[in-house]
Amino acid sequence: MSLFQAILIGLMSCTAASTIACLGTTVGNYTLNRPLVASLFVGLILGDVTGCILIGIPMQVMWIALVTPGGTVASDLRAVSYIGIPLAYVGCRAAGIDYASDEAFQLASSISALTGTIGITLFYGTAMMNLIWQHIGWAQLDKGNFEIVGKVDTLMPLISHFCLSFLPVTLLCYFGSGAVEEVFQYLDVSVWYVKALLTVGSVLPAVGMSILLKSVVNKTSDLLYFMMGFVLAAAMHLTLLAATVIGGVFALINYQLTMAKKAPAAAAGVIVEEEEDI
Amino acid sequence: MKKISKKTLNSAFWRWWYGNLTCFSHEHMQTFGYMWAMIPILKDLYPTHEEQSKKLETYYAFFNTEPQIGCIVVGITAGLEEARANGAEGIDDEMINGIRAGLMGPLAGIGDSLIVGTYIPILLGIAVGFAEGGNVLGPLFYIIVWNATSIWFQKFIFDKGYSLGGSAVELLVGEQATAFRESVIILGQVVVGAMAASWVNITTPIQIATNSEGEPVMLQANLDGAFPKILTMVFVILCWWMMAKKGMTPIKTLLIMAIVAFVGSVCGILG
Repeated sequence: MSLFQAILIGLMSCTAASTIACLGTTVGNYTLNRPLVASLFVGLILGDVTGCILIGIPMQVMWIALVTPGGTVASDLRAVSYIGIPLAYVGCRAAGIDYASDEAFQLASSISALTGTIGITLFYGTAMMNLIWQHIGWAQLDKGNFEIVGKVDTLMPLISHFCLSFLPVTLLCYFGSGAVEEVFQYLDVSVWYVKALLTVGSVLPAVGMSILLKSVVNKTSDLLYFMMGFVLAAAMHLTLLAATVIGGVFALINYQLTMAKKAPAAAAGVIVEEEEDI
Repeated sequence: MKKISKKTLNSAFWRWWYGNLTCFSHEHMQTFGYMWAMIPILKDLYPTHEEQSKKLETYYAFFNTEPQIGCIVVGITAGLEEARANGAEGIDDEMINGIRAGLMGPLAGIGDSLIVGTYIPILLGIAVGFAEGGNVLGPLFYIIVWNATSIWFQKFIFDKGYSLGGSAVELLVGEQATAFRESVIILGQVVVGAMAASWVNITTPIQIATNSEGEPVMLQANLDGAFPKILTMVFVILCWWMMAKKGMTPIKTLLIMAIVAFVGSVCGILG
């Protein structure tokens, strides 16, 4: 990977630096930060869009739902998207692994879990560094200079991004890719510990799915809907879109039932009010 | 009668839309983004710098919610601030901050479960389907659909918040909205099941017996005969149980599962 490519990836990581992304929540965090979207941009930078998207898919699956309640995160996707994807891509290329194969999927899952978890330090680091700018902001606000607020909110955090996104990502991509290439060149997938690592990569997406499951399941009986969806895909081989349609039917039935249950109560309420009027 | 101009409202919206979390810290979270969004409104409503900066103090208070659904709160406070500038009774710092503080918790819950926990994963799931084989269509689909729908929704509830005031919240927490939300979550549960079955594949190489023709009888084939991919489902539910029922953090669960998989592979049980 050339230095120029590493710098471009470093810049992308600033625009998409998780919750704090310098392009905001909708575009930064929920678009460019997602591994699937990032794989397109990394692919354009590295000159292989198809290969990078194939690597990006398992990384996206691993962290498909990332809710950050109260600013506590389970993973920093900027590290997954802009450190994990380029390094996993370079590694697979060096090892001669087919990007669409099971091995590539399992390898990418493991790297996704690893970079995401280690990347959390970048998230907390950026948030800590922003305290400095906010401190400057409060001091100026005390003097009645509220024009500072815009600078604190938009310009000053760019310094945090330079130190905690641009530098680590660029350096890791530039120097890391060489090291990864060297290690992966001699990768033999039939050795027991490589096999074990690939197994880890096949089990970890289950954790990603259960994080998502936890965000939609409120009571244990809800698991039945989950199992239904599972059976639709596993036993009946429906695609995700087809399963979405069937889920939609159940959602509609539930909506109509709930509203029907409430309707008589509301109607009764109207009658009581009328009587009072008389 | 003072009125916030359309242009000012738009600039407040876009400031919040862009800047709600750009200067995030765990101490003040979205406070600076909120202040930045309110400044054009205060400048429009109050003539002197002293008054503007006095009124800005209202928004010094801590604020944090799911920022996209939080647009409605910024809209509501824009409306309240306009009423206050016109001398409405009973609108003071305490009242405004009471509304802000009262809304941020419930809205965060709705936004996290509905937008981040259901809508985005479903969109991403469909996009992953399109991306199979390395197709550019997948990422492009997500970029376009997510941004168009999300920005439309945020502008819509911001405007509703401004025009309807506090009663705008009914749009999101009213009887009909609650029934709608609960129904969408059922859709989410079904889709998560389909995602788990499509993307996760956990297998076992255990051989349980040899049949009369001397061919190995594999546990995996027998399990799949009874319930396709049951091992995968058991693992997902096990992880869910560890987090939801045992209160483990995702990272701890991740670590335990990594060890289980590694040891399982070495012992020849998994993989």
